[in-house]
Amino acid sequence: MKIAKLVGRNLGRRKARSVMTVLGVAAALCLLVAVDSLASGLAGALQSEDGARSLVVYRKNRYCPQTSILPEHYGARIAAVDGVESLLPVQVFLNNCRASLDLVVFHGAPPEEALAQRDLRLVAGSLDGYVSERDGALVGRSFAARRGLEPGDRFRFGDVDVRISGVFASSDSTQEGVVLVHLAGLQRAARRLGSVTQFDVRVAEGADPKAVAQRIDALFATAEEPTDTRPKSAHLESATADLVEMLRLGRWLALACLVVVLTLVANTVWMGVQERVRELGVLRAMGFREGHVLRLVLGEAVLLSALGAALGVGGALLVLRFTHISIGTEGIAIPLEADAMVALRGAALALLAGAAAGLLPALQSARRPVVEALHA
Amino acid sequence: MSLIELRGVTRRYTKGEHTVAPLVDVDLDIEAGEFFVLLGPSGSGKTTLLNLLAGIDRPDGGSVVVGGTDVGAGRSKDLARWRAAHVGYVFQRANLVPVLTAQENVEMPLWLTDLPAKERSRRAALALSAVGLLERAAHLPKQLSGGQEQRVAIARAIVADPELIVADEPTGSLDGESAEAVLRLLARLCTERGKTIVMVTHDQHAASYGTRLVRLEKGQLTAVEVAPR
Ligand SMILES: Nc1ncnc2c1ncn2[C@@H]1O[C@H](COP(=O)(O)OP(=O)(O)OP(=O)(O)O)[C@@H](O)[C@H]1O
Ligand SMILES: [Mg+2]
Repeated sequence: MKIAKLVGRNLGRRKARSVMTVLGVAAALCLLVAVDSLASGLAGALQSEDGARSLVVYRKNRYCPQTSILPEHYGARIAAVDGVESLLPVQVFLNNCRASLDLVVFHGAPPEEALAQRDLRLVAGSLDGYVSERDGALVGRSFAARRGLEPGDRFRFGDVDVRISGVFASSDSTQEGVVLVHLAGLQRAARRLGSVTQFDVRVAEGADPKAVAQRIDALFATAEEPTDTRPKSAHLESATADLVEMLRLGRWLALACLVVVLTLVANTVWMGVQERVRELGVLRAMGFREGHVLRLVLGEAVLLSALGAALGVGGALLVLRFTHISIGTEGIAIPLEADAMVALRGAALALLAGAAAGLLPALQSARRPVVEALHA
Repeated sequence: MSLIELRGVTRRYTKGEHTVAPLVDVDLDIEAGEFFVLLGPSGSGKTTLLNLLAGIDRPDGGSVVVGGTDVGAGRSKDLARWRAAHVGYVFQRANLVPVLTAQENVEMPLWLTDLPAKERSRRAALALSAVGLLERAAHLPKQLSGGQEQRVAIARAIVADPELIVADEPTGSLDGESAEAVLRLLARLCTERGKTIVMVTHDQHAASYGTRLVRLEKGQLTAVEVAPR
């Protein structure tokens, strides 16, 4: 059928109008994809935990890494708790505890233990410098990409001054926003000698994580620095609670984006058919059926939104891929993950909104009596 | 049997309390191969009658039968199919699709057939050469003169080889020379290809191309003596 060809040509009648509509749809889709990517990144971060067997020991009633201070010597006592398989003392040092687009997070830990306990996969450089040099560091790949860091580079931040030995990937997406350094060096730079922010605990196979957490907290219940031990997933959830709230607003934004797509396309298509009522009547007189006119008009709406979606989704994907934007909160960087699902969902929603926008003008054009249309 | 048979055809428009009845109980027969010219004052119902013949409007009473098909009845879908195969409509203005070339405009009615693309374009070229505009095939309507556009519209009306061509003041917006070309073209379609032409005109000279002239006034048809051209 040649209707498709005519649909394409019709967009060229008012080029400026079509281009503006497509750009508007693209902008709306960009925003929609950004929101959806954050949701997807957050879901990924909360999910990627091998979950229940990892616990985080934190200072009780503290929520930001800068204020959670635990004596390093707690480590020996925690390690001795029944059901604890291994433990990693971690000093966290960061630039900003509030929501931030450019979060810098250092995790200071004993290198060999960190490599043993964390799921890290080297993608560039080597581990040697990190393990053997006191100022050696590994960076997560999304942070490396965001800051343009490569193995061999020096990275200075405040009093922290390290040499990047390698770049790593991790099944835990929040890890990829972290700079992993030596515990002692970071304690010195943060002026927190003898203390750590948290202990990452692995629970032994078969042990009940809840019970282990209770045993740990019981140890320090009356200490000057009481602890609060939770599964890592719960820890992440409370740290990212603000983001979840933001996302709820984001959902409304995304919905508004779809309404923008709908009204933009509807407006353009409507004006387009108003301008050629007579021409559509001539087609009908020639023998074109109502279904043909319907397809012609609907096709225009869908094509406009498809072009906009391609541009918007494609643009958002490119930007996110090359900038590695992440939103950090309480020391945890949530990457915006624009994967194929997000892209498909965005495109499908745009097409749906476009089709919905075209439906009314299409039906109206198709149903108009031929004689009336010719009279226009 | 005549190609076109109108029996007791009435068409009226009601708006609120007002009723306009351009056609009242009209009987009319038009034979195949006639060049039938419909005259009459403005607002007398000529276009209304043409629309009924072309199957784009339905009578309020009576029957309109064209080539054995009752075009006042039937589903709109079937009527559209019938139009595509049996009627070519030429309007006062060419009404070409501005974003399609002359060739593509002419080809449009063939989109509704299942002819292969090659054959469609061959037939469109044939129709264009019949109106003497083959060399303008690739031009857009805005690159053509008004007279040329109207000839493209005639090519579009004949491309599907319908037996009936209805033309509503086809020379109404053309200068003398262009009008002449269009009229000769219609006359030739009638004499050389045996098409039946039903043309509405206000112009005495245009009317002189007809083989039969009829005047529509106050809802009634009356024969007009053919003035020798
Ligand atoms: N859709 C309509 N609604 C109401 N009245 C209509 C409609 N279409 C036509 N009429 C009326 O019917 C009458 C005949 O109209 P028609 O268009 O057939 O006239 P015409 O003979 O073609 O006139 P002209 O020579 O000016 O083209 C007119 O009085 C017109 O006002
Ligand atoms: Mg008229």
